[in-house]
Amino acid sequence: MLLYNARLAWKSIRRNPVLSFLIVLGIALGVGVSTTFITAYHVLARDPVPGKSESLYYVRMNSWGVADDPFLRTPPPLITYRDALELLKSPVPVRSTASFQSHDTVFPEGGARPFGQDLRLATADLFPMFAAPFRYGGPWSREADTRPESVAVISSALNDRLFGGANSVGRTIRLGNHPVRVVGVLGAWRPRVRAFALFGSPLDAPEPIFLPLALAGPMELKPHEFQMSWRTPQPGEEKLPYASQLMLDEVLFVSFWAELTDARQAETYRHYVDAYVSEQKKLGRFPHPLNNRVTPMLDLMDELKVVPPQTKALAAISLLFLVVAALNLIGLFLGKFLARAATVGVRRALGASRRTIFVQHLVECELMGLAGGLCGVLLALLGLAVLNHVYGDGPQGVPFFRLDLLMVLAAVGLSLLAGAIAGVYPAWRICSVPPARHLKTQ
Amino acid sequence: MEFGPIFRSLLRNRARVILIVAEVALTLAIVANCLSLIMDTRTKLARESGFDEEHIAVIHTNPFDDHLRQQTVLDQLVDQDRRTLRALPGVRAVSNTSLRPWQRSGNITSVRIPGTHDEPVSTQVCSADPGVFETLGIAITEGRGFTEAEYDHGADAPPTEVLPVVVSRALANRFYPSGGAVGKQIGDADESQRYLIVGIVDRFYNPFGGSGNDERIIFMPARSVGFDRGAQYLVRTAGDPARLLPQIEKALLGVEKGRFVRTRTMVEDRTEFHGRDRILVASLNTVMALLVLVTALGIVGLTSFSVSERRRQIGTRRALGADRAAIVRHFLLENWMVTSFGILLGAGLAYALNFGIVTWVAGARLSPAVVAAGAVGLWIIGVGAALGPALRGAQVPPAIATRNV
Repeated sequence: MLLYNARLAWKSIRRNPVLSFLIVLGIALGVGVSTTFITAYHVLARDPVPGKSESLYYVRMNSWGVADDPFLRTPPPLITYRDALELLKSPVPVRSTASFQSHDTVFPEGGARPFGQDLRLATADLFPMFAAPFRYGGPWSREADTRPESVAVISSALNDRLFGGANSVGRTIRLGNHPVRVVGVLGAWRPRVRAFALFGSPLDAPEPIFLPLALAGPMELKPHEFQMSWRTPQPGEEKLPYASQLMLDEVLFVSFWAELTDARQAETYRHYVDAYVSEQKKLGRFPHPLNNRVTPMLDLMDELKVVPPQTKALAAISLLFLVVAALNLIGLFLGKFLARAATVGVRRALGASRRTIFVQHLVECELMGLAGGLCGVLLALLGLAVLNHVYGDGPQGVPFFRLDLLMVLAAVGLSLLAGAIAGVYPAWRICSVPPARHLKTQ
Repeated sequence: MEFGPIFRSLLRNRARVILIVAEVALTLAIVANCLSLIMDTRTKLARESGFDEEHIAVIHTNPFDDHLRQQTVLDQLVDQDRRTLRALPGVRAVSNTSLRPWQRSGNITSVRIPGTHDEPVSTQVCSADPGVFETLGIAITEGRGFTEAEYDHGADAPPTEVLPVVVSRALANRFYPSGGAVGKQIGDADESQRYLIVGIVDRFYNPFGGSGNDERIIFMPARSVGFDRGAQYLVRTAGDPARLLPQIEKALLGVEKGRFVRTRTMVEDRTEFHGRDRILVASLNTVMALLVLVTALGIVGLTSFSVSERRRQIGTRRALGADRAAIVRHFLLENWMVTSFGILLGAGLAYALNFGIVTWVAGARLSPAVVAAGAVGLWIIGVGAALGPALRGAQVPPAIATRNV
């Protein structure tokens, strides 16, 4: 019976190809446009560390020195190196990590021309906290953080470039004047949002090299991204070794994250941070009233508008577009069905029940809905390809915006739903046509 | 006119009327908000820096070789680079500066008139050589620029010394709204450094560090180079700067090869800066065009349906003496009434949607002119879409009325 209905639908579609084309086009455009922009939003707004983000908290402290600039009354987005080292000692969080971006030169073996690379100084906890996948080896140990050991975790792209993709664990890379030993090679890792660096360029890829934070001093690695300072160095200070300057300076450039199991632990940690600042006040630092923030990751992402607000507006607008397309569909189906009221009248007179007519027309709607939905998915693929083209691909040629299975299913489901909703009223109208009226006019 | 009968016939076809009204209303609401977002973004895209962007190459050099770790070597290298670049054919002016136009990068500081306790004013600040104004193509309209001697000395000047600086008009006016800023002093909010305003440039716009800072800048005479941050040169060329980039790179590596050289044009930087906004405008334009298309298709479909349903009615009217124009007028008028009702509803909906977007997302308030423009556009499209089916309806022969009774 379904097959028979499908055949009838196919005949009806062929009988009026222009109208059928318009109907399919209408659904395809509606589904295509909304899927494209909702996917774009979904990709950007998706939880960057699924399953972990609820337990990750960002730490800010108001360490500004001079008092009368209104800008200085809110805690700065980053903290100093020295405060980061102190906070890392806290026993409260399960894990914690302090990190900042720097830059250095990689000297490949065999005298090839060196090249510059961004790198991130961090502590070992960063990898489990932000769910970094490893292809070879793993993170360095916590002991390597404190000693510190000259070790590195590198991206698989850099591993391909330097070692031809082989397992390079145990091999050495020369960074500037310093050899570092590879302990881990990351797998394909391209989080949509670089959650550990929400201040700076959160939409960039993770840096290709990770080093223990404590190597900053001995390797003289300076912050390469956003940094702020309110204190002018005293005369002679710039002559000190960089490692000592780091401990003296009030330069803000470190991102600090703590992993806290629940709200109670978060509260304990807030007290810990406040207690630390109160302690520092005795040393003459932190002249402002206590104003520290321990913010859950997702709240911070909202606060920083990591997802461009226009993306949200576009997603909302494209959903409304789908509504317009569905309304349009009702009209087109209505026109198409009622135009053949006479034929239906004959069929009804020959004994077809209302139910048969209703089902027959609904099947036709669904068939066209499905066709439109599939075309819509193709359109969405095209739309996302255009977006990828203008946004640029991620590393390893991984496109930034991808249609995942969920979105494809949602798109097809949406088009079936649109076909059903838009089809019910026209199908009902046509099956309630009284047969006699149309027979009379034959 | 036949308003009365048309209105009564509309009441008998409620499903069709509701569909068109809803479609037109939603379309207007979306189109008006898209237009508003587009106009908003376009104003941002159209802001001009005031620089001669089409003729400027942006060169970044980053040292890696060990002997370049010494600041004195780097300082000498900057002087040598400037001479070398200036000597290239096709180069009009060269500047070593830390100003990074369109690069989302730079320095921000807070200043005020020394000795006062006014609220400090934040501003962009950069180091530059005397050639920076000619290179950017911005004229000093009041006072003077720097001398080579001031530039040479600048980086080593003790903080106690007052540095001669050039500032933008926007910053000068902030402190001295009635003019006369040249010769006056400003200082860092923490009293660590004082500046003497020696010159003012009128045109300056570089979006960085929050919208308040976009037009404020202090040019300080000093070299801008370091082992970690490298050095940037702006090169103003006579022709297309892109053509000169390979020669520039070769010349700089000829001077010193222990460094990386990255060459770009300022237009590339600007295009990249605007990238997201351009995508937004293009996306909104696409959505809007497709939406109007879908709505027009809907109106065509529903009107054809209404015409084909009323063939006998048309035939009867024709037989009773109505001419073809009357039939066309009937359908257009009917369509116009429905569309107008949709537009009326849509105007309200547009404001509601705008309220939602402004509250929960971001953006500007909707101006009535935008809604009006959208409404007029929809009227034209609505009537245009109905024209085809209406003309076809007019072709119905009067005989059809007699045939089937």
